[in-house]
Amino acid sequence: MKIFRFLSVAALLVASLSVSAIAAPKSIKVATDATWPPMEMVDANKKIIGYDIDFLNAVAKEAGIKVEFKNTAWDGIFAGLDSGQYDAIISSVTITEERKAKYDFTDAYTSIGQILVVPKTDKTSKTIADLKGKKVGSQIGTTGAMEVKKVAGVESKTYDEIGLAFEDMAAGRISGVVCDEPVAAHFALKKKEYNAKFKIVGKSFTKEGYGIVVKKGNKELVDLLNKGIKSVKAKKLDTKIHAQWVK
Amino acid sequence: MLNNQPKHKTIDVGDGAAIPHKSDTGLFTAWRIAFFGSIALCFFLAFGRPDQYMAIFMFVPDGILITFKVTVGAILLAIAFGLIAGLGRISGNRFINGAASLYVEVIRGIPLLVQLFYIYYALGRFVKIPDILSAIIAMAFCYGAYMAEIFRAGIQSIPKGQMEAALSLGMSRSQAMRQVILPQAFKVVLPPIGNEFIALLKDSSLVSILAVADLLRRGREYASETFNYFETYTVIALIYLIMTLFFSKLISIMEERLNDGH
Repeated sequence: MKIFRFLSVAALLVASLSVSAIAAPKSIKVATDATWPPMEMVDANKKIIGYDIDFLNAVAKEAGIKVEFKNTAWDGIFAGLDSGQYDAIISSVTITEERKAKYDFTDAYTSIGQILVVPKTDKTSKTIADLKGKKVGSQIGTTGAMEVKKVAGVESKTYDEIGLAFEDMAAGRISGVVCDEPVAAHFALKKKEYNAKFKIVGKSFTKEGYGIVVKKGNKELVDLLNKGIKSVKAKKLDTKIHAQWVK
Repeated sequence: MLNNQPKHKTIDVGDGAAIPHKSDTGLFTAWRIAFFGSIALCFFLAFGRPDQYMAIFMFVPDGILITFKVTVGAILLAIAFGLIAGLGRISGNRFINGAASLYVEVIRGIPLLVQLFYIYYALGRFVKIPDILSAIIAMAFCYGAYMAEIFRAGIQSIPKGQMEAALSLGMSRSQAMRQVILPQAFKVVLPPIGNEFIALLKDSSLVSILAVADLLRRGREYASETFNYFETYTVIALIYLIMTLFFSKLISIMEERLNDGH
């Protein structure tokens, strides 16, 4: 009898544990590299703000979860997901085949492209290929950096933060910067000291979709976020957020 | 001699990898184990696990070259800065002495990482200098302050009688400094400069934050696209270790030669 009681208690315990594991997480930790304006950045009050932040907050509201943001350096942001320091990443992460092999993504929530920014003194360059023999900057590990490396004869220089690349271009050490279109627009058009020096050339030359990243196999969270994304899109909340942050 | 004995015992600790000397058998064995062990491990990883590691070894070599360039460039420039500031620190001229002391105090009071950022981007505001050269200048400016103290101590370690004798032979002060004091001081300062070289080799990894494509930056670029963080940093650490151990051995051989010639 005693052993029977023990077994039933144990079974109950296991059942309750697995139930709590299956139950939707009420609160998730999400990493973002807040050096990528206007998508994610830190304001004067050290608060993380931007398109991605507002978007994910809207998604979370629709999905019925709470989100806590964690500012994390881009270089290593995926490693932190591996080691379980947070549950997801929303940081203008383009969905690529290489990344999909290692991590799971939600559906794309917005589409952007890479674009080239050069000094105003450069009157001829239209594409990265026009900058052969010169240095072109980008942020380390971004799709922009991958695009620069694809062009033979161009020296790729990778920075920890995209702002440092623009500063280096202002100092004349590099001849171009490649990054996501909205970020380029922010640095080249909105920032006063750069507005006089830089210009965006041509149109974006890639088609990319941003996705929220979770650990491989975390289907439950992906489904939950996808549900939220769908609902946000259906209510057209994303166009409102887009209008507020981009252009 | 007895009068000059210091009241307190002093200890001699370098900030680089310990320089192995044959008389210190424990360290000498440790050096051999670490050096040949890490080389063997590199070969094992590259050829035993080629699918994970070979690509990393193929990706980083140009970074090793840049690390080496930055280190050698910075140490040479730092020696020049250090010699000038070191001479300034013992100068009788109040203005020169003050300027040199201020340089040493200010630089030694600011973290190297902060200085690198500051000097690199400050330089960019005023002059157009290529990135690697800017990084070398920034690095040398910092290390020059530490080097200045080595030169000052080295020069002051030469007995006063040497200067007095040189002056009484009719030499001018600067002549005596150049032909009598400095050649002797150089011998004294070589071991600590060797130590600084090893320390600088390691600190050169900090220039990767300035987007200089050194060994560490190459590793970070590789890891950020393949997500093989563990494997990449294993290789990067091994290569740095092999480099510092190799140079510490080279410095110890150089020191032995110098002592033999004594």
